[in-house]
Amino acid sequence: MTSPISRYRRELGVAGALVVLLALLAVMAPAFFRAANLRDLLVANAPVLVAAVGMTLVILARQIDISIGSQFAICGVAAGLLAKTGLPMPLVTAGVVATGAVLGAINGALVAGLGLPAIVVTLATMVVLREGLRWRTEGVWIEDLPERFQWFGLGQAGGRAAIVLAAIVVFAAFAWGLRHLAAGRAVYAAGSDPEAARLVGIHPRRVVFAAFVFMGGLTGLAAVLTAIQFIDVQTSAGAGLEMKVIAAVVVGGVAISGGRGTLLGTLLGVTLLGTIGPALTFLGTQAYWERALQGAVILLAVSTDALPSLTRRPPAAA
Amino acid sequence: MLLLALVVVEMAYFAHAGSNFFTAGNAAEVLRASVEIGLLALALTAVILTGGIDLSVGSLLGLAAVLMGAAHRDLGLPIAAAALVAIAVGVGGGALNAALVARLGVPPLIVTLGTYSLFRGVAEGFTGGIRNYTDFPPALLFLGQGRLPGGVPAQVPLLVTAAVFFWLLVHRTPVGRGIRAIGFSPEGARFAGIPVARRLLLVYVLSGAMAGLAAVVYAARLGQAKADAGSGYELFAITAVVLGGTSIFGGRGSVHGTLLGLIAVALLQNGLRLSDQPAELAGILTGVLLLGAIGANRLVAERSRA
Repeated sequence: MTSPISRYRRELGVAGALVVLLALLAVMAPAFFRAANLRDLLVANAPVLVAAVGMTLVILARQIDISIGSQFAICGVAAGLLAKTGLPMPLVTAGVVATGAVLGAINGALVAGLGLPAIVVTLATMVVLREGLRWRTEGVWIEDLPERFQWFGLGQAGGRAAIVLAAIVVFAAFAWGLRHLAAGRAVYAAGSDPEAARLVGIHPRRVVFAAFVFMGGLTGLAAVLTAIQFIDVQTSAGAGLEMKVIAAVVVGGVAISGGRGTLLGTLLGVTLLGTIGPALTFLGTQAYWERALQGAVILLAVSTDALPSLTRRPPAAA
Repeated sequence: MLLLALVVVEMAYFAHAGSNFFTAGNAAEVLRASVEIGLLALALTAVILTGGIDLSVGSLLGLAAVLMGAAHRDLGLPIAAAALVAIAVGVGGGALNAALVARLGVPPLIVTLGTYSLFRGVAEGFTGGIRNYTDFPPALLFLGQGRLPGGVPAQVPLLVTAAVFFWLLVHRTPVGRGIRAIGFSPEGARFAGIPVARRLLLVYVLSGAMAGLAAVVYAARLGQAKADAGSGYELFAITAVVLGGTSIFGGRGSVHGTLLGLIAVALLQNGLRLSDQPAELAGILTGVLLLGAIGANRLVAERSRA
């Protein structure tokens, strides 16, 4: 029986890194802990968490989706356009989630249906969707949105609360479902050994397809939660989102080879990576180094995973 | 072969739809534009043959270009030395990928996804996002913009040399056979006595070196080096490789296929531009082409297994 400490080794490691970072900030830049700043961080990272929940499902199923940034941009534009047609915000949200789900289904059909490798498929759809959107909109932002668009019409405080609440609900629901529903265990099974899963009656291809669809839908929700924070919709939104989200998930301990990891880890990963950027600013470093730091954190996280295996036989080529 | 037919179709279509497409001058320009992607794609072929992938080549190109610019302008190095700096940066970056993949056994996908961010990020941090290196000497610019006797763009011999090198390596040496064996079955290759870690080190370092060389050509062609150099090149390089028939799962493929795939991609971009099509269409069609290519590869694989 593995003890909880060894089972959650990775999550504890990330939590530890987060504590160290917060301690550093407490000493060198206590202004970080002002209520307004913490609140802004919470609101800014809530959509990232929602998207990361979706990406967790995909990576657990032994796949990957780097088209999330382009999906996010399209969903944001869809949110603006739908709102301008006069639909009430709940319907707008539903429509955008559906849009995202459809985009996810395209990836899912190519990967699960045709058996094409996810990295290449989503590389292609990332470019096709992004360039298609740019062609269609010519880079023009969506403006003149109805009043009830921003903050769901609830005003700034109410809107912020709604965003954070939505993220908490989504996270809790999926965390519970992954652990307690048969469908959740099917994701782990399909990701760790598709053949074994098939032998016990799970359909790995259906699981993969569903994972991509859920990811698309959650990306749509994340796009709405982000779009309502502003008065215009940028058609260039979502740039670099794939790296941020994948980094958070991988740092949180979800193995890229599938079948291993928890949403708790993803939550810690989102928190850690969401804190690094602003921490840099508060500590006086230039913001230009953020992407380099993201990359370094990813590499550090996956390397420390692999270090114990150095003492054993050299591993096979991936 | 399907790919050959595609190339012919492209040429026919663009000769009709584009202005000035089917001329010797334009052919030279197509060649010129494809050298950088070609260098990346040649090295990527070897990487993908091992069953791996390298998403960081575009970012590494950017980093190498920027550091070359800094070495020349800020450190005052002569341009030849600065070019060597670019290649050294490429080798270093490739070595980082190689160490994580070959020694630590981390999946190449996530390693190169991380270095894709890291290299671009370091380039951005180093230049503060805005610095642009521009005063390159005419000697360098000739490499990128000049023509040799006969109308051949000056950088083409580099591509030809690299193509011959990679073709020989992959198709005529035991090293190449080992590379393919690793992609076909890593464990089997190990039991057959192939030094897997060393071969992986080689292909990723070569990939980095080519990125560094491509950076030199890039700076020579554009006369400038910014942090965003090489952005998106990985898509075109991977497309050229996969279009050429190399399986993304490894073990199957050819260097000459990649060259043909490179021509197909270069013709597409050039032809679209000359037909006055919007810039976005090139990206969209390349993406669709990539999907079609892996779909077709998949069908071939299924049929040969059935």
